[in-house]
Amino acid sequence: MNRLTYLAKRLALGVPVVLFGLTMSFLIMYRGPIDPVMTILGRDATASDIRQLRIALGYIRPNGTQVPIWEQYATVMYDLFTLQFGQSWIIQRGVPVTEVIGNRMPATLWLGWWSVVIALLFGIPIGLFAGLKANSWSDYLASGGGIIWRAMPNFWLAVMLAGSLSAGGALGWYRGLGSDYGLKTDVIGTPDEVGNLFTVVDLFQGVPVLELLFLPIPNVGNVLIAFKWILPAALVLGSASMGNEIRIGRTAVLESINSKYVETAKAKGLSSRRIIVKHVGRNAVVPLLPVIMGEFYLLIGGSVLVEKVFSINGLGNLFFRAVLGPDIPVVMGLVFIFVVIQVLMNILQDLLYTMVDPRITLEDAGR
Amino acid sequence: MEEPTSRFDEDSTLRSRLEADPEPALRWAAVMAALALVQIGSLLGGLLSILDAAVVGVTAIFDVLFGLVGLTGASAAVVDVQSALSGAVTTARDAAEGLPTLLSRETIPNQGHLASADGPWVDTFLGLEPALAWAVRVLLIVGYSLFTFYWLFRGWLVFRAHYRQADWTPTDDMIDRLRDHRWGQFGIFVLALFLIMALFGPALGPTTVSQNIVSPYSHEVTYFNADAGAVETVAAGDANFNSKSKGAGDQNVGPMTYDNFNRFHPFGTLPNGRDLFTFMMGGARITLIVAGLAIGLSALIAGGLAMVSAFYGGNIDLTLLTTADGIVSVPRLLLLIMISAIFANHWLAGVLDGGFLLALIFAFTGWPFLWRAVRGPALQVAQEEWVDAAESFGQPPRTIMRKHMFPYITGYLLVYASMSTGGIIVGLAALSFLGNGLGITPPTPAWGRAVSLGQSYVSGPSWHISFIPGAMIVVLVTGLNALGDGIRDAIDPESAGGDDDEAAAGGGA
Amino acid sequence: MSEPVLSVSNLRTVFHTDRETIRAVDGVSFDVGRGETVGIVGESGSGKSVTARSIMGLVESPGEILPGSSIRFNGQELTEFDDAQYREIRGSGIGMVFQDPQKSLNPVYTVGNQIIEALEENQDLTGEEAREEAIDLLEAVAIPDAPRRLDEYPHEFSGGMRQRAMIAMMLACDPEFLICDEPTTALDVTIEAQILELLQELQEERGLSILFITHDMGVIAEIADRVNVMYAGEIVETAPVEELFASPTHPYTEGLLDAIPGRQDGSEQLRTIEGDVPTANEAASHCRFAPRCEHAFDACEQAHPQHVEVGPEHTAACLLYPGEKSRSERVEHHRAQAETGGDHE
Ligand code: SF4
Repeated sequence: MNRLTYLAKRLALGVPVVLFGLTMSFLIMYRGPIDPVMTILGRDATASDIRQLRIALGYIRPNGTQVPIWEQYATVMYDLFTLQFGQSWIIQRGVPVTEVIGNRMPATLWLGWWSVVIALLFGIPIGLFAGLKANSWSDYLASGGGIIWRAMPNFWLAVMLAGSLSAGGALGWYRGLGSDYGLKTDVIGTPDEVGNLFTVVDLFQGVPVLELLFLPIPNVGNVLIAFKWILPAALVLGSASMGNEIRIGRTAVLESINSKYVETAKAKGLSSRRIIVKHVGRNAVVPLLPVIMGEFYLLIGGSVLVEKVFSINGLGNLFFRAVLGPDIPVVMGLVFIFVVIQVLMNILQDLLYTMVDPRITLEDAGR
Repeated sequence: MEEPTSRFDEDSTLRSRLEADPEPALRWAAVMAALALVQIGSLLGGLLSILDAAVVGVTAIFDVLFGLVGLTGASAAVVDVQSALSGAVTTARDAAEGLPTLLSRETIPNQGHLASADGPWVDTFLGLEPALAWAVRVLLIVGYSLFTFYWLFRGWLVFRAHYRQADWTPTDDMIDRLRDHRWGQFGIFVLALFLIMALFGPALGPTTVSQNIVSPYSHEVTYFNADAGAVETVAAGDANFNSKSKGAGDQNVGPMTYDNFNRFHPFGTLPNGRDLFTFMMGGARITLIVAGLAIGLSALIAGGLAMVSAFYGGNIDLTLLTTADGIVSVPRLLLLIMISAIFANHWLAGVLDGGFLLALIFAFTGWPFLWRAVRGPALQVAQEEWVDAAESFGQPPRTIMRKHMFPYITGYLLVYASMSTGGIIVGLAALSFLGNGLGITPPTPAWGRAVSLGQSYVSGPSWHISFIPGAMIVVLVTGLNALGDGIRDAIDPESAGGDDDEAAAGGGA
Repeated sequence: MSEPVLSVSNLRTVFHTDRETIRAVDGVSFDVGRGETVGIVGESGSGKSVTARSIMGLVESPGEILPGSSIRFNGQELTEFDDAQYREIRGSGIGMVFQDPQKSLNPVYTVGNQIIEALEENQDLTGEEAREEAIDLLEAVAIPDAPRRLDEYPHEFSGGMRQRAMIAMMLACDPEFLICDEPTTALDVTIEAQILELLQELQEERGLSILFITHDMGVIAEIADRVNVMYAGEIVETAPVEELFASPTHPYTEGLLDAIPGRQDGSEQLRTIEGDVPTANEAASHCRFAPRCEHAFDACEQAHPQHVEVGPEHTAACLLYPGEKSRSERVEHHRAQAETGGDHE
């Protein structure tokens, strides 16, 4: 099976999964024991207002009859799959959901990107190092750290770190760091002050977000400010993954080092550097792949908590407020995006598997 | 694997074996009876609490079922039956808790007051200062419980050595390996400590949840008022009001200190002046109940479905795979937030202060992870010859699964269940941290809420409020992971770990 | 015989565990001459693989080669080598073919990649030149369609092909001495015969010296010029191959030969040696084979047998020899030998 047919097949198989996730969310949001109309209008709404809104939200028809649930379902699903996300009900009433989400996307992308990068940059080397020095003191330190690091709840770590960063805290100096060079940021503040940092410092200068990830960045100073601002939150968000990477990386290296093929490589007279880089390295990546890809999963959930503690006005915060609202179109839009990302990530993971480990064929990878 | 061998008659009963050599059993039972007797009050109380929870759980299931098929009347009736039953159980429990209990706060009281500026202490155990009296009680309770746990395990050893039909089973080897596994034992120890907190919470705290947290204005505190120079009495609520930990110099009651009302606070106080240690003990109980219920249900669903998909395979397996992937595709915390926010005002959210609903949600969102982990072993065992053989004898699928497949996958189920429990505990704390109707309903203590309460004071002298609850979660989750590692190494000494499903087990929330 | 390529004497390799020190190899001595194939035969656990690893310098903590051991390769004392010096010897000096070709090839790189890597390291060939040479090598080990096979991964090869590739990879190092550690155990009989034939051809073409390790007397008969029989960390009998098969002297060797189908006379059943190889954890003061030996007598528990000449280039370590002496004289002879220095500790 070549890669393209495989890709098509996996995408097709992904549709029921997305559908299932959305159906579940639909049932919860539309059939759960809440009445969004009353929440939106408040207690002293007039009967006609209520009627108006019910019609607008698609619960009843203009002639007053109930819209059957399956019809609501069909409409919602059709709209989502045709990427018509509708308008926000509560958070920014009447504003298109795409715009509500789009406004908050950059902060979360920025946060997620750094949390992944930082976890990878520290977690994997530490794990590999611990594996190479197995049963030494530095190994115990690293793997012990990994065990604790991955058991720490994100929200708690966030609270502790945010607290230490506040004025007078143990890490209070961080705020002033580099302020001589214009790197002034409060790190934590109200969402209005800091959350919209991106608009405040005009980081992107109108460059669309996605391009920004690949293009030379317009203003280095602003990027540094944005980095300084996001670093603590990204550290926290990546913490659990980093712990996992240390642990799994260590076992993977150990397993590889004790393998027969490393013995063979030694018998060939290869240098230990070459053995570690070439033979151990690539084999150790195989078990690490699911951990790395799993990061994205942890990231989406974790962003709700971390963004709340660090007052970052991103998608996690938005989701939380939308659910409490309830701002159902925003919730459904976000769930749609998250689920699709999740399914795509799974496919990407399987493709990567086949690339790193030739024994795994595309057919196996689907399992 | 070797065949279990027998050293007794094929058809001897346990009873006849006991009669043949009663001595070891009697010795063990005598100690056990003594252990039970000194704690008879709280023992009965505990059993009745469990009964109460079971009644609530069963009725809830009926209620949901009737609700689904539209029998609103029937479901209301069920709720009535439940409240009547629960009422009866509660009365019995109150009576049981009135029975004398050795290691209770009544026998070893720590709540007393100074008679004058420099002593002596009145109303405390042997006139010791409250901190010491409290410490004595805690040490005794922990010691007693650890010994009781050990003695229960001893009971199994006695049974194995003297009365069991088979003189060797594969489980023996697992247990023996676990006895050599320090890291796994650390896990067992941690779990035991937290179980003790959950079981003996009311007796462990320097004060009780109802006195100090739930209804502080219906209880009174007697203390020596240093300013007035006299012994006075205030409502516990007022005392709390003046014992707040809010970071500023005199508005802080740190760990291991007394407040101005002669009350000792091992973990300090909360920003609203309540005792953090008592709060944590209360939190331990609800946390373990929710986590236990949730993981039990998950494991049941996951184990059952894993056997079904391994036994039948094909389309059934594929359907389950899609279902599991579908549930997993919505990040767990988001699903949790959605469901608990929507059900916040539903009556189910009242059961166990919201804990029951949360347990259901955790079970529903958690089984796919477990299912994925045990599906492999289940598939493996389904291909074994003895399963084919059993099938050819005409054993029905249910019997085959129960007798041949289930024992094989239990070990794996235990490993992954123990590792995912950490995730549940962290998730539960996260929800309580978020508040807004999510998580455990206030004022019932919840660890996550304590973290949230202390959020603004982390950098000051009141750092303890957020720090201690989180640190306790870290210890418990680490312990559970260690236990999982231990069991894994005990079942399969060859495997050196490195399983990818662990990615989901960490503190990702 | 000219100066041997490899000369092992009094090799002792131990493994330190929490509870005890396991003497995996306990005082082994033998030589391998130029162009010769020497076999080491024994059951699993007899220490033959550890002997091979000791020679290759692949014994790692908790294993240790005890002082007093000597491994001389072309006159160099390998036990005194550090890592860097050993690396020079490995590959271009001594190559090794392992038992399990499936696990011995790195699954994530193509066969060609792994052969070329050896060529780069040991023969300074790179690029197109190395590729050409790799193809030649694959053809030399009779892998058909070599240019295409070069770009395949180990899992795409059959078991026999994998072992051929493994041999090609070792040939790429151009060693003068090759250790084969049970290279055919994982293969079926016809493939085994092909591989043995291949090894013999290569030996003739390249003048290789081979140390061949196996548990299979049949394979030894095929390939070896001289045979060392190993039991519980010791060599118990040494002889040229025809001599050994014609007149085995040590009871253990007899047992091994009796276990070969078709060698017994007449109606006798196929015999096997009961029991397992014991784990040696103390210096031997007795015959380690005694518990399983049919001919054992009291003294076997008390005296450590020494090598005694029993034929041309043929020695055995058993208290039954030298056969012309009386029993008590023999025991005395071995005791005296042990004291004068053959033995240690
Ligand atoms: S020394 Fe004794 S026990 Fe050992 S092989 Fe010879 S006869 Fe048998």
